Amino acid sequence: MELAAMRNLAAALAIGLGAIGPGIGIGILGSKAMEAIGRNPEATGQIQSNMILGIAFTEAIAIYALVIALIVKFV
Amino acid sequence: MKKKLFNVRTLLILLAIVALFVVSGRLGLKVPAPVVSIKADPLFHIGGFTITNSLFTTWIVMILLVVVSLLATRRMPKDVQSASTNDLLPSGLQNLFEFVIEALHGLTKGIAGHWTPKFFPIIATIFLLVLTANWIGLIPGVGTIGILEHPHEVHGEEAKGAVEFTGFVANGAILTAEPAKHVEEGYFVVPFFRSPSADLNFTLALALISVFMVQYFGVKGNGAAYFKKFFDTSGFKRGAFWGVIGIFVSILELISEIAKVISFSFRLFGNVFAGEVLLLVMAFLIPYLISIPFYGLELFVGFIQALVFMLLTLVFFTLAASSHHGGEEHH
Repeated sequence: MELAAMRNLAAALAIGLGAIGPGIGIGILGSKAMEAIGRNPEATGQIQSNMILGIAFTEAIAIYALVIALIVKFV
Repeated sequence: MKKKLFNVRTLLILLAIVALFVVSGRLGLKVPAPVVSIKADPLFHIGGFTITNSLFTTWIVMILLVVVSLLATRRMPKDVQSASTNDLLPSGLQNLFEFVIEALHGLTKGIAGHWTPKFFPIIATIFLLVLTANWIGLIPGVGTIGILEHPHEVHGEEAKGAVEFTGFVANGAILTAEPAKHVEEGYFVVPFFRSPSADLNFTLALALISVFMVQYFGVKGNGAAYFKKFFDTSGFKRGAFWGVIGIFVSILELISEIAKVISFSFRLFGNVFAGEVLLLVMAFLIPYLISIPFYGLELFVGFIQALVFMLLTLVFFTLAASSHHGGEEHH
C-alpha cells in the first residue's frame, strides 16, 4: 500500500482505538460521581472538583493518542 | 407587550446572511487549505537565537497580563487601615479580578489548607498564564495572518509515495486556492501569531517548572528527608522481602515524577493543538456556520485545561509538602 494511504489509515486507527479506554473510564467516573451526589447532595462541590480532577487524568490518555494521530498524519 | 419574533428587521438580517453565502460562492472567493505544522515556525532571528511565532505570542500574553494587572489595581488605596469605605469599594476591572482571585483562593484553601499563602502565588500565576495563552489562540487573525513563504523541496526517501506540497498561487499579498505547479512559484502562510500552548516548548517548560516546584515544596515541608521517598530502605527493618519491595516502590516513584512531566506537557499541548486543528478542519467543512459551536467548545476546553493544570499542580504540591509522615504506615 502506498505511503499516503498508510498514513491516513494509521492516523484513523490511532485515535479510534485510543479513545475506547478513556471513553469507558470517564463514563465510569461520571456515573460514580452522580451516584455519590445522589446519596449526599450537600457534598456536591467537593465531589465535583474531585471528579474533574479524575476526568483530566483519564482524558490525557486520549489526548496522547490524538497527538500521535496528528503527528502521523501531518508530519 | 411581547415583541414579535418574525418582524421585518429579523427577516432582513436572515436575508443578508443567506445573500452573504450566495455572493461569496459566486465570486469564487476561495481560501487555500491551511498547512498544519506541529512545530512553531520561526519569524526572525536575534543574534543566533530564533524567535518563533509562538514565542512572540508568549511575550504578548505576558505583557497583556502585566498591563491588565496594573490597570486593575490602579485605584486600590495604599494604606488600607485609614482609607474610607468609598475608596475600598471595588468597581469595574478591579471588581472582576477580585472575583477571580477570591474564587481561586477559595479553591486553593480547600485543597492546601494552611499551605495556601506559600502556594497561592505560583498556582494563580499558572492558571492565569495558561488561561490567557489558551484563549489568545481563538482571537481572529491569530494563526491566519502572516507572511508568505515558499514550501521547501522534498528530497530522497520522503519523496517516494508522498505527494509533494507545492503551495498555492499568490496574487500580490492574497493567497488563492489554486495549487502552484512548482515549488518556486507556490506560497503558503506562516502565521505571525500562534497560541503559545500549541507549542510543545511552552507546555514542557511549564511542566518542568511545576515538577521542580513540587520537589522544592517537598523539601520545604519535610526537610532533606523528602528525598528518602526515592530511596526507601525502611522496609528492610521488617525483613529482606519488604526491603526489596520498598526499593522497588521508590524506583516507581522516581519514574512517576518523570511521567508527570510528560503527562502535564502533552495534556495541555494535545488539547490546545488538537483544538486548533479541529477549528481549521471545521471551518473548511461547512463555512461560517459550524465554526460557532466549536468555538464554544474551544473556549470551554481552554478554561478546563487551565483549571486542570492548576489543580493537578496544587494537589502535587500539597501531597509533597505534607507527605512522608503518614507514609510508613502503609505496608
